Amino acid sequence: MAVASLPHGTAGHDGVDQLYADTRALRLQGMLLFLVSDCILFSSFIFAYLYMRNSGQGWPPPGISRLDVAFAALNSVVLFGSGATMHYALENWKHNHFGRYAFFMLATIVLGIGFLSGQGYEYTNLIYKEHVTWSGSGIFGASFFTLTGMHGFHVSVGVLYLIILFLQSVAGVYTKDKYFGLTAGTLYWHFVDVIWVVLFSIFYLI
Amino acid sequence: MSATAVHPGGGLADHIHPEPQGFVKRYIFSLDHKIIGIQYLITGFVFFILAGLLAEVIRTQLLTANGGFVSPDVYNEVYTMHGSSMVWLVIIPLITGGFGNVIMPLQIGARDVAFPWLNMISFWIFPVAGLMLYSSFLMGAPVAGWTEYPPMSLQAGPGTSMWAAAIFLIGVSSTLTGINFVVTMYQMRAPGMTFTRMPLFCWAQLATAPLLMIATTALAAALAALFIERQFGVPFYDPTKGGSPVMWQHMFWFYSHPAVYIMVLPAFGMISEILPTFARKPIFGYKMIAFSSMAIALLGFMVWAHHMFTSGLAPYLQLPFMILTFLIAIPTGVKIFSWTATLWGGKIHFTTSMLFAVGFVGLFAFGGITGVFLAAVPFDWHVHGTYFVVAHFHYVLVGGSLMGIFAGTYFYFPKMTGRLMNETLGKWHFWLFFIGFNGTFLPQHWLGMLGMPRRVPEYDPQFQFWNDFSSISSYVMTLSILLFFINALYSLRNGKKAGPNPWGGRTLDWQIPSPPHYYNFKHIPTVYGLPYNFGQPLPYKGLEEELTDSPVHVGAH
Repeated sequence: MAVASLPHGTAGHDGVDQLYADTRALRLQGMLLFLVSDCILFSSFIFAYLYMRNSGQGWPPPGISRLDVAFAALNSVVLFGSGATMHYALENWKHNHFGRYAFFMLATIVLGIGFLSGQGYEYTNLIYKEHVTWSGSGIFGASFFTLTGMHGFHVSVGVLYLIILFLQSVAGVYTKDKYFGLTAGTLYWHFVDVIWVVLFSIFYLI
Repeated sequence: MSATAVHPGGGLADHIHPEPQGFVKRYIFSLDHKIIGIQYLITGFVFFILAGLLAEVIRTQLLTANGGFVSPDVYNEVYTMHGSSMVWLVIIPLITGGFGNVIMPLQIGARDVAFPWLNMISFWIFPVAGLMLYSSFLMGAPVAGWTEYPPMSLQAGPGTSMWAAAIFLIGVSSTLTGINFVVTMYQMRAPGMTFTRMPLFCWAQLATAPLLMIATTALAAALAALFIERQFGVPFYDPTKGGSPVMWQHMFWFYSHPAVYIMVLPAFGMISEILPTFARKPIFGYKMIAFSSMAIALLGFMVWAHHMFTSGLAPYLQLPFMILTFLIAIPTGVKIFSWTATLWGGKIHFTTSMLFAVGFVGLFAFGGITGVFLAAVPFDWHVHGTYFVVAHFHYVLVGGSLMGIFAGTYFYFPKMTGRLMNETLGKWHFWLFFIGFNGTFLPQHWLGMLGMPRRVPEYDPQFQFWNDFSSISSYVMTLSILLFFINALYSLRNGKKAGPNPWGGRTLDWQIPSPPHYYNFKHIPTVYGLPYNFGQPLPYKGLEEELTDSPVHVGAH
């Protein structure tokens, strides 16, 4: 985009030029609105799930056992932990501690991959041991695999996104004052975390 | 550029980047909001011709009670594709991506939208999605009407999956446009342009953009589920596997009722620009018009189930949905009243654009009133699924949105091309269209009251006379639209030179050359008041050099 490559700008507060401040404000709002619309996508599927769940045949439907809360809770802790490490990564970047930033960023990526592996393990168990599948287990399989799969897809995209951001930061794309990409990545990662809080509650707890 | 022109959120607004070179960068993969807007308009009007031809197939089929023009199967495909194209490929892209892109950044005094790249991507998704939708004719087009209710949409041929994919894509395009517009209007207004000084067309786009962002994503979920169910057999809507067809209706109408406002709010905005300009009078109730758009957008999310009164909706839910729907008549009435009061005592110039605008007010009010009828549960039980509903939404979408699009085209054509459209042809267009439109759809009200169901290829012979009347009137309407296209193509080269401000408009878009330079404004102006105070000096500073030959400082401040 033309705006990002502009060398000029009137000097503003804190030595950050006005042009960057404007661009950052635009992109921040754009990113937040994107997350809002993504949230609506999840909400619609969550509505669909709750609608079908309340269709009167009891939940879980006959022939399907309850999901394993203990393992999912452990896996959730992994994902929420990655939210914390992501937070520390950004804070350390802002305070110019590159070493600690790199540690927390890599920790976030590893924890993200850990969560995905946990989800893979859970899927394998469900499909091969309990014979619960996407298309063959009625509305239970449909809603569970669609929603958690969509979330897992978001986590996978997030992991790739964080890897790219990390490589960019190593290559010197971001500075102490100009790091919008990292802010966007952090927002996205927290968003994915929050969605999981909701999914965990509605699938495993209630 | 002098340092004094820098506004609080400044560096971005003040910068002029070099003009792109080469045909492809300037006109095909352009980043310029005006070019992208015109691309939307051209593509939208091409799909309008296709959808209009499909409509004529419908009317020709209904000339005789026994049908016979096309087979019943083809007839199903035709009305489904007509509805789908008119909603998603014609009215929504024309009125948001088209006019919104061309006019909104000019009116707020910006050099472009917030994310020009995203804007280009939004546009290019649109023709691809349109071609995908039409390609479904090759594999058995969707047949369940534009609403595609399951279980029929689950049982139809592969074209329905293509339909879902195409509409999903066009939804992505809408969502991106919505995000782009909200950020543009929040962050890129010229200095001094507070929200309560923003032109009403921008207010209308500001009310529409969240609908594009939020409602469209809900539709995306419904479409994704339909696609998954059709392709992979994952049960969402099939009642035999525990799914629910009514769930589709909830999800679909949660989008499609707000979509009605996506289609009509920007038209409200254009009418609010056109009426004061040609009445030479300040708009009546500026704030009420602005806020009523927001009220309509908000209420629009709370009324979707009024489409489902006959779908087994619980009675305790029918009453609140009925009352909430009635409530929408209040902000809409505020608008109609404000427009009428704007005309009152004005010095009215009946240009073609004004004729369409005044026609819009009357026809939309009519369609709105039949909407209140339909919101009443007992009345809806009587006419649900009949031609009364068809007549109602054509009054709102053709008499409303499409008339608004025509009014806007005559109004903004000189800004986009630098030439005026021919007024004589324009007036023929208006009168033939107005008569043809009413002749086509007015009789459908009583056909529906008498019980003629919609979406049928054959009907009881007692309905023949009014169907013939409707069909013949629709040919008049088609003829008038032909005149419109001839006019537009002819005026592109041979129209009178318009100059910067042919209508005496007072918003910022009229203060710069027609067509505007790629950078829109040499200097970002400062705004001191409302744009509608006719008879007083313009409330802008810093526009002195816009119409002169003074040089532009590219890439510098």
